[in-house]
Amino acid sequence: MATSTGTGRMRALVSRRSFLTAAAGAALAAPAIMRHSRAYAETPKLRIGHVSPRTGPLAGFAEADDHILAGISKAYSGGIDNNGRAWAIEIVSKDSQSNPNRAAEVASELILKEEVDIIVAASTPDTVNPVSDQAEVNGTPCITTDCPWQPYFFGRNGNPDTGFRSTYHFFWGLEDVIASFLALWQHEGVARKVGGLFPNDADGNAWGDAERGFPKPLGEAGFTLTDPGRYQPMTDDFTAQISAFKAAGAEIVTGNMIPPDFAGFWSQAGQQGFRPKIVTIGKALLFPSVIESLGERGVGLSSEIWWTPNHPFKSSLTDESARQLAESYTAATGRPWTQPIGFKHALFEVAADVIRRAEDLEDPEAIVEAIRATSLNTIVGPVDWSKGPVKNVTKTPLVAGQWQKQGGRVDLVVTTNANAPQIPVGGEFVLLA
Amino acid sequence: MGTAFTIQRSTRTSRVTAIVALLLVAVLFAAPWWAGRANVRLLGEILSFVALASLWNLLAGYAGLASVGQQAYVGFGGYALFALAMFLGVHPLVAIAAAGLVGALVAIPIAPLLFRLQGAYFAIGTWVLAEVFRLSFAQVAALGGGSGTSLPVGIVAGIAADRALREMLLYWSALAIAVAAVAFVVLLLRSRAGLALTAIRDSEIASESLGIDIWRTKLLVYVSVAGLTSMTGAFIFLQKLRISPDAAFSVNDWTAYVIFIAVIGGIGTIEGPVVGTILFFLLRETLADLGTTYLILLGAVAIFVMLRAPKGLWGLVVQHTGITLVPVRRRVVFPKNS
Repeated sequence: MATSTGTGRMRALVSRRSFLTAAAGAALAAPAIMRHSRAYAETPKLRIGHVSPRTGPLAGFAEADDHILAGISKAYSGGIDNNGRAWAIEIVSKDSQSNPNRAAEVASELILKEEVDIIVAASTPDTVNPVSDQAEVNGTPCITTDCPWQPYFFGRNGNPDTGFRSTYHFFWGLEDVIASFLALWQHEGVARKVGGLFPNDADGNAWGDAERGFPKPLGEAGFTLTDPGRYQPMTDDFTAQISAFKAAGAEIVTGNMIPPDFAGFWSQAGQQGFRPKIVTIGKALLFPSVIESLGERGVGLSSEIWWTPNHPFKSSLTDESARQLAESYTAATGRPWTQPIGFKHALFEVAADVIRRAEDLEDPEAIVEAIRATSLNTIVGPVDWSKGPVKNVTKTPLVAGQWQKQGGRVDLVVTTNANAPQIPVGGEFVLLA
Repeated sequence: MGTAFTIQRSTRTSRVTAIVALLLVAVLFAAPWWAGRANVRLLGEILSFVALASLWNLLAGYAGLASVGQQAYVGFGGYALFALAMFLGVHPLVAIAAAGLVGALVAIPIAPLLFRLQGAYFAIGTWVLAEVFRLSFAQVAALGGGSGTSLPVGIVAGIAADRALREMLLYWSALAIAVAAVAFVVLLLRSRAGLALTAIRDSEIASESLGIDIWRTKLLVYVSVAGLTSMTGAFIFLQKLRISPDAAFSVNDWTAYVIFIAVIGGIGTIEGPVVGTILFFLLRETLADLGTTYLILLGAVAIFVMLRAPKGLWGLVVQHTGITLVPVRRRVVFPKNS
């Protein structure tokens, strides 16, 4: 009996082995055959890998993924012409679970197992940085967005002289958010005293950085910044910060926070009698659901705005305007528009444009070369890597605005466009009561 | 008087297992030639979880040290590798071994503090320790503080002359770590210390009265597990290329999944963690694209196994067949004619 079970175990091992071999065979052989023959195939196929935080704390950023991907797949369904031939496009989308460890793992799976030709990713440094690192080491062309460029570039130990080899990024930067916030705060009757709330995370460290972040330009513009230091994300006590702001007579509060931290700060500020006239916070106040959860105290808060349905841009892929894209999302899901919608769409616009222009889609180097040469008007504005602040980075326009009550619901209204005059202003800024 | 008896350890099954295990290691060693790049990488990840689960199993299943803070050493090992490679220019593969050594050294002063706590308090204490590590590394600006940092591409490229060789070397380090971890557990359990551990697991008071130095035995286990866990962590983050405090000291990735593996596989057995790792990766590779549903399914599997097979899947096999693949138990055998 012992022997028979012994071989049973052996069989189990063998079957596991053969399972892996079979899996390896399937995974390897299919793309290998495809790779060698696809140039001669009736319709050659190109695969785009997509990494996005569909579940977990960052899921709000990926809320519109299904809708956007469905629209993109439809736009791609006729194939994309490259050098006179139609290429079928397949998108393989993976969930990062809002976890940088998992993001690195799925990115490597997309590169090594799915053998994607281009990898795209969006939403916060925790997604785009690990994905870009894996792409860079493997030489896979990679396009990312939806993360300020400093945490992307310097957070990955980027060197402005050499840049990166195969990874490219489009979004705005800290200099834009600072300029927009300063424009927002030019208000009579508001003391130029600012309290800063910067967490010890990728965004917070970049925003609070003495050289590249808020402190220096705020000082130059005549604002005094009270910065009580980096707090640990998911803090539930902001008494120290509130006391420091009160003592300094701060009438403006700014920073970069995650929604739960801001909710904690804001309710404690109310309880402790701290009533700033302007509260402009990055990241925390992007989503209508967050503002709704704050109730009446959510009205009047202000935030950076990267995209709205009123942006005067249209898709290079589907010809939809920003408004049409947002409305089609609301019609399909019954949910209000959110800012990442436009950027998620633009990511695939850029990918399609690159596929169209690449000299040789079989050659990653040629695809990277096509990304570098991009000059495209997308639904979020122009994307052109020849105009970057540093290599591998290009910027899209950024404005700022306020959550205001319009009719029965709270909507995000652009109140200053000093940094990007092409974006229309939707209303006047109102101080907090 | 005195019935003649002998102590038997290895069985025929276990001798067969030893040969099969050697063959398996040889097959795994050759993986870069029979598996594709993606599967070699996946195997590397699987092997790192075999190591983590076996080590946790040694702590919790044999030494009674139910730690929920082993992510402290995974993260510490990862950070040690980044620091050694980035600041001292140590070759990353050498840094893996060095990270293990540093991890063990760090565990020596920590162990006496934790051992003052018993049972649930010990578990919470280990978690607190991991949080202390996480918050401390979040303050180290040179390693990116709370933002984390990426391993410069130059360092990664410097591991070997070309990409294929680099991937092979990385994979073999994972294989070496997993084999070392499992072999360490087996050899330790077959030694005097292993006998002491089994006694401690069954009753601390009784074993102390028999003259076992509980404290020293536990220290030996805790420190060596910390060292090997740090090595595994160093390998894991060398593969990930990027480290940040939340990723390095993630209780979900490095402890919850590891406990899941050990529990469904069979805690307190050598085979359990290996069986559990295979099951975990089968579930992950087939279901991870389901998003939240996947996590719900994992939870459901854990609950089901705990209710229906409290000793894990391997425990179920042992119960029904009585086989032992790895001989760590001693059996008293009486001659048939007595």
